[in-house]
Amino acid sequence: MAAGEEESREYLRRHRLPELLHRLGALLLFHRPERPREFLIQVLERVKAGRRAEGEYPFLMDEANVEAMFGLLDVLGQGSIRPAQYREALKTLGLSTEDLELEDDVEITLDEFKEGMKKKMLESWSVY
Amino acid sequence: MCHFCGLCSPQLLSILHSSGLVRNLWECLREGSSCPAEPQIQNMLEELLIHKPDDPIEFMINHLKQNNDDAPRICVLGPPASGKTTVKIPNALWANLIQERLSNVDCIKQGWILEGFPENQEQAWMLQSSGIFPRHVVMLYAPDTVLIERSGGKRLDPLTQEVFHTTFDWPSDPLVQERLVKPEDLSEQEVSKKLLEYHRNFPEIFHIYQKVLKSINADQPSVDVLSQVLAFVQTRHRSAAPFTPRILFFGPPGSGKSLQAALIAQKYDVVNICCGQLLKEAVADNTKLGELVKPYIDSGCPVPNNLVLKLLTERLSSLDCLSHGWVLSGFPRDVEQGEQLQKAQINPNRVFFFNLPYESIMERLSQRRTDPVTGERYHTTFRPAPTPEIQARLRQNPKDEEENIEKRLNIYYSNVKALEDFYQDAFYVNADQDPYVIFEFIESCIIKPLPCRKP
Repeated sequence: MAAGEEESREYLRRHRLPELLHRLGALLLFHRPERPREFLIQVLERVKAGRRAEGEYPFLMDEANVEAMFGLLDVLGQGSIRPAQYREALKTLGLSTEDLELEDDVEITLDEFKEGMKKKMLESWSVY
Repeated sequence: MCHFCGLCSPQLLSILHSSGLVRNLWECLREGSSCPAEPQIQNMLEELLIHKPDDPIEFMINHLKQNNDDAPRICVLGPPASGKTTVKIPNALWANLIQERLSNVDCIKQGWILEGFPENQEQAWMLQSSGIFPRHVVMLYAPDTVLIERSGGKRLDPLTQEVFHTTFDWPSDPLVQERLVKPEDLSEQEVSKKLLEYHRNFPEIFHIYQKVLKSINADQPSVDVLSQVLAFVQTRHRSAAPFTPRILFFGPPGSGKSLQAALIAQKYDVVNICCGQLLKEAVADNTKLGELVKPYIDSGCPVPNNLVLKLLTERLSSLDCLSHGWVLSGFPRDVEQGEQLQKAQINPNRVFFFNLPYESIMERLSQRRTDPVTGERYHTTFRPAPTPEIQARLRQNPKDEEENIEKRLNIYYSNVKALEDFYQDAFYVNADQDPYVIFEFIESCIIKPLPCRKP
């Protein structure tokens, strides 16, 4: 691979740009703004604000969505889900499941789920 | 709730993260001319990689605020006397000068045209290392004899530096006429020398800008050259990004829609959907919708729109159609159906109207025959049955009888004008040609990107 190309790929990797663009795409598709350029500017400003802890990152899912997701997983309405389901949910959203220390028979309640999700989502944006 | 696909966000996200579909959704943005976000993202990514800023987020915000994705960045190159002007200055100095000028706000906002630079490989490389990449490069060419002749008539106005010509471009103001002088370095020898140098340098430059370059013949009236250049610089370049075709074929019966659809489906691995077939399959499979449709098919009455639409939307939203694309023939038959399709969020990105004169239609259809034993289709003139035995048992489909053909044609012609107005960006195919010629034409229309639409 030519030196220039290697450099460029390294740059992309270092700043996690492909993932960022992926998220921008997801946001664009979900909201379908009339003026995509202004929308993108707003989103990026929010990333900046989140970085400085001045505001919230542009999460695609809000609390209601997270609850809805829990509802989808907790089919029988037991009020809790298993760790395997929790891991799958994180994977589906593209969040990391690396540092999850959960035994297989622990039950995860809605609140724990919400907390965990929030933390993971925050983590995933804070690299920017 | 996602307006696009009606899914709530957890489901949407899980679908988004299965990569195949994200690419399709990017295309919706790209192909939808009212929401051209994808080229903006592409440009932004290009700029990021050229400049590699330490804070990409800040850089992206500034880039988006500049909003200069549509600003032209054009180089016009060509031999001396092809229609541009040149001066001698060392290469490095040139590159700096140009970079400085192009970084001015007016260039960034409005775009720029660079004339007669770069002249050789070295200059081109310097431009590139300064991060200057033209989006379009126009190479003007003409035979040397024409160029030498033209340069003989070249005249310069020393006051305004404007270039005129004794034959082609003589100023109307007599004051200007008197001022004109012959440029200094213009003996035939000098011009030949310059031309030689140009020919030496040209192949390398051609090679460097190959992907964005177009050669235009300068040996024509200047208005023709101008119109060709304009048409070129307004095109968007073919992107290497994957593209899911969603193709509509319109045309009178017998125009070859199903043949072309089959060819396209085979070559590009898209799903071939013929509306009539879809309905019959639904009946044969005894699905719920099939049962509703059956009485209409049996009695020969047209199936009501809402049923057809339901079947179609179901089929077109299935995974194979969404990921591979589709080609649809036989629907919509009128503008009302077209509007319903649009409301169901099914938007084709290539539309074709097949044109075929009446006599050819009659010729093709009235001589169609089918072998009831093997199901093979024949044509008495174009594809006759191989043996007299088969020929004897050939039958004609009642819908191919002359009066029925007339009826079908009348329905088609009564609706086609409105459909053509509804699908404005459609391509028109001359269906009265060899199938492979038609196929190549359709292919070229599918592959090339839709032209830039000025908002």
